[in-house]
Amino acid sequence: MCITSSRQLKQVRKEFLDGDARFEKKVMICCGTGCLANGAQEIVDEFDSILRKKRIKGFTIEAVRSTGCHGFCEQGPLVIIEPRGTFYTKVKVKDVADIIEKSIRSDEVIDKHLYTDPATKQKIERYPDVAFFSHQQRIALRNLGKIAPHNIKDYIANGGYQSLAKVLTTMTPDDVITEVSKSGLRGRGGGGFSAGRKWRSCADVESDTHYVICNGDEGDPGAFMDRSIMEGDPHSVLEGLAIAAYAVGAKEGFVYVRDEYPLAVVHMQKAIEDCRKEGLLGENIFETNFCFDVHIARGAGAFVCGESSALMKSVAGEVGEPRAKYVRSVVKGLHDQPTVLNNVETFANIPIIFEKGADWYAGIGTKKSTGTKVFSLVGKVRNTGLIEVPMGITLRQIIFDIGGGIIDDRPFKAVQTGGPSGGCLPESKLDLPVDFDSLTENGSMMGSGGMIVMDDRTCMVDVAKYFTDFLVKESCGKCVPCREGLYQLHKLLVKISEGRGEESDIDRMEQLSEVIVNASLCGLGQSGPNPLLSTLKYFRDEYTAHIRDKRCPAGVCRELITYNITDECTGCMACISACAYHAITGQKKKVHVIDQEKCTKCGACVAACRFNTIDVR
Amino acid sequence: MVTLTINGKLVRAREGEMLLDAIRREGIEIPATCQHEAVEPYGACRLCTVEITKADWGGWKNHVTSCLYPVQEGLIVSTHSEDVIRIRKTILDLFLARCPNAELIQNMAAEYGITRTSYEEVPDGNDCILCGLCTRVCDKMGFQAISTVGRGHGKEVAPPLGEAPPDCVGCLACAQICPTNYIKFTDDGTTRTIWGREFELVKCETTGQPTITKEFAAYLVKHRNIPEDYFTRCDSAHREELAKTMGRITHWGRQEEA
Amino acid sequence: MNYRFVVKPELCIGCRTCELACSFAHSVNGKPGRSRIYPLGTGHKELWVPVVCLQCEDPACARSCLVDAITRNPETGAMDLDAERCVRCMACVAACPFGCSLHDANHQMVVKCDLCGGDPVCAHFCPTKALVLEPIVQQKKKKSA
Repeated sequence: MCITSSRQLKQVRKEFLDGDARFEKKVMICCGTGCLANGAQEIVDEFDSILRKKRIKGFTIEAVRSTGCHGFCEQGPLVIIEPRGTFYTKVKVKDVADIIEKSIRSDEVIDKHLYTDPATKQKIERYPDVAFFSHQQRIALRNLGKIAPHNIKDYIANGGYQSLAKVLTTMTPDDVITEVSKSGLRGRGGGGFSAGRKWRSCADVESDTHYVICNGDEGDPGAFMDRSIMEGDPHSVLEGLAIAAYAVGAKEGFVYVRDEYPLAVVHMQKAIEDCRKEGLLGENIFETNFCFDVHIARGAGAFVCGESSALMKSVAGEVGEPRAKYVRSVVKGLHDQPTVLNNVETFANIPIIFEKGADWYAGIGTKKSTGTKVFSLVGKVRNTGLIEVPMGITLRQIIFDIGGGIIDDRPFKAVQTGGPSGGCLPESKLDLPVDFDSLTENGSMMGSGGMIVMDDRTCMVDVAKYFTDFLVKESCGKCVPCREGLYQLHKLLVKISEGRGEESDIDRMEQLSEVIVNASLCGLGQSGPNPLLSTLKYFRDEYTAHIRDKRCPAGVCRELITYNITDECTGCMACISACAYHAITGQKKKVHVIDQEKCTKCGACVAACRFNTIDVR
Repeated sequence: MVTLTINGKLVRAREGEMLLDAIRREGIEIPATCQHEAVEPYGACRLCTVEITKADWGGWKNHVTSCLYPVQEGLIVSTHSEDVIRIRKTILDLFLARCPNAELIQNMAAEYGITRTSYEEVPDGNDCILCGLCTRVCDKMGFQAISTVGRGHGKEVAPPLGEAPPDCVGCLACAQICPTNYIKFTDDGTTRTIWGREFELVKCETTGQPTITKEFAAYLVKHRNIPEDYFTRCDSAHREELAKTMGRITHWGRQEEA
Repeated sequence: MNYRFVVKPELCIGCRTCELACSFAHSVNGKPGRSRIYPLGTGHKELWVPVVCLQCEDPACARSCLVDAITRNPETGAMDLDAERCVRCMACVAACPFGCSLHDANHQMVVKCDLCGGDPVCAHFCPTKALVLEPIVQQKKKKSA
């Protein structure tokens, strides 16, 4: 069958919804990567095997949906029972029979699977009432957790491809670009460049061939926004890509997915094949002159391939090295042809802009950063996972309202935003509105949306060292300031963290950073010293403590700390058996002692001690 | 033609020309290690960085690599500003930490007053400055026998899988273009070895002089339409042959005259 | 181009002045370069031939150059070898059927006759005018009916 009109889309939608109406209840099982790792697939299989044996009125296996990521990976595997929205967390295979019996056959709620609010200690039944979800506004993630990503009909039933139909049959490419510009949408990949302006510049270049590419090479440690969208709602990305292709006059598009995302590749591939079957990709889409096809290009896992020019080289089969962009890639991109490159999240926003209008979108967020942004909230925060919030929300709201505050109520120290090339913001910046410009002004950046929360036990020198090391390894190695400069910067950080730092080292690092920023070829190098510079800006005293006092205030840098047992030791001997190096001696009910010569500072004793009597400083 | 200012002097340059060419034409010396006429500009060493601005930029300045920056009307270029010199010095300092024995780098650094690196020397340093000239010239010539491998600080130039490269013809362009003579080869007049692969040399039928490798000759015959028998003799034998042929013709001419 | 370089073996006396002139005309850093012209004996008594690049119509040297370092100079008509671009792979040296691309081992470069930019020095020094720069007499093209 080939879908050729908006009317036919509505027909598909109706058929699908009619089919669903047979079911009194539906079960949404999160099959995002986090939940899959925790056994979500086994839960789906268990539902299947039980329902094969048992007949339940108004419920079959077809009502059990493997959906994309809900974002609350911390609590996975998640099982949601619609229409009530009953929200079960950390479900195990053995719980399935019970859930079917109590919550599906009858309307009983199983208390022990409900989420407990960490602040109020109250059990919460429905997921929209969970603080993690209630403060969010899901636009790019609108379908995640609601539809089965491998079923194109499910997407269409949720209004999918109507925007493409509308664009192709009622709008000119120029109208499309104007609408995107009006929405104020800025690229979600990190740069924050206006999507409308990018599309306009590309469309204005005269050429027989234009390309559109979706950047799914999400490489920031701890970030999985784009991954979740590609895995959980691939069609929204394809629809956005097709709209962009129409706007700039492209006949061919690519989705660049890093090879570490096998499920994303499978789901994207399935989505592309389904679209070809339904005529939503290929020749004369919606009976117009628009022809468009999409291919998947798999990256080999180099962080630098997320950089536009390196990515295009990689798509073309060359070594993924950036080139100088004195001629921009909208003019000379893939195969030297004008190319639009946006990331997954940007494209996922496109269909809904055309569904609800640019003015609606521009009304969300702030004036200069419209819409919402997806963040992966990780680190020392209670509720970790994927969140989508309107731009302009404060860091405090994200970390304390949605994130539920710091684990064990320890003091908040810093939040690292923008991935490895981003920066750390201290407590004084907690009320900063999160948007492209204010983050940059304060020495960090939006990046693709990684957000790592740190408590007082995080050493900022160590953090800078970690991220600089990451960048040393992930630098493409083409230009000298980035390859050699970051390497030397890392060496200096190691020196400081090991207590060999000298007063002059800070100046040296700052001078070197300035050259790296000014002289590097691509964004990776130009922003490479950011972790160092932002921690120096806000936590300079911590550097001086390492250098002058040879002390790591957070108790992290091994060379500068010692483990000692305080007088509160109960003499339980737990630490003695935990220490693999036999560094702890002592008798029952007497205070134990650590032999500093033998101690390797591995921290096993701290983990073993139930009385918190091991002092690290 | 466009008009721009280089170090205070008005200069005319061809549209599309790179800044570095215009600068060098003015006799101004700026270092560059990854630039070579045979290959496209690359922008890796960043030594040719210069400072640019324009009258209407409101005092804003930018640093660009002149090897890749096309000349522009009204551009004001400063090739040795304080910032630029700091960038160059730092880069040379960093280079010296990695390649302390590379003569090219030593000389360039000395010109900027640096004799020893101020950074920690890289433990596994060598003379390769990763300018990419070898891999680029190999690509340009159509062989693509070697490439850069890995990334970041551990990047290196190598044949595929570190094995003798099947697409190499032993032309030695990579070794010849290498600015630090890091790429090693041997040639005993009969066989040539490079990248762990052995090549037999073509020998002149007349003099026995070796010329190029058999693989390279075969490539030129196949892809460049050079007749096979051109390679059977060395250049001096070709000249002798030409002299003899022309001599014969001239001799006949003389005989006829007589 | 209004002139062409003509070699007249019948006038050559094998004095090798051309070779010397060429070598000095192409000095590198004050040191004489390798001569691009070779007056060679022919096996016939008192008959020499100054062997020099013929600037062929479709030269093997340019065809064999994989980095496009040998190109026709539109002003002089010579096939010029761009030393800055040359990567010394020796393809042209091996490919030229007249042996007129040469390896200058002293200066580590490949050289060939460039007609001295349109005014060959060898011709100036040739005592017998065996090497001359001759004006080309433009032949009127026959108009096709």
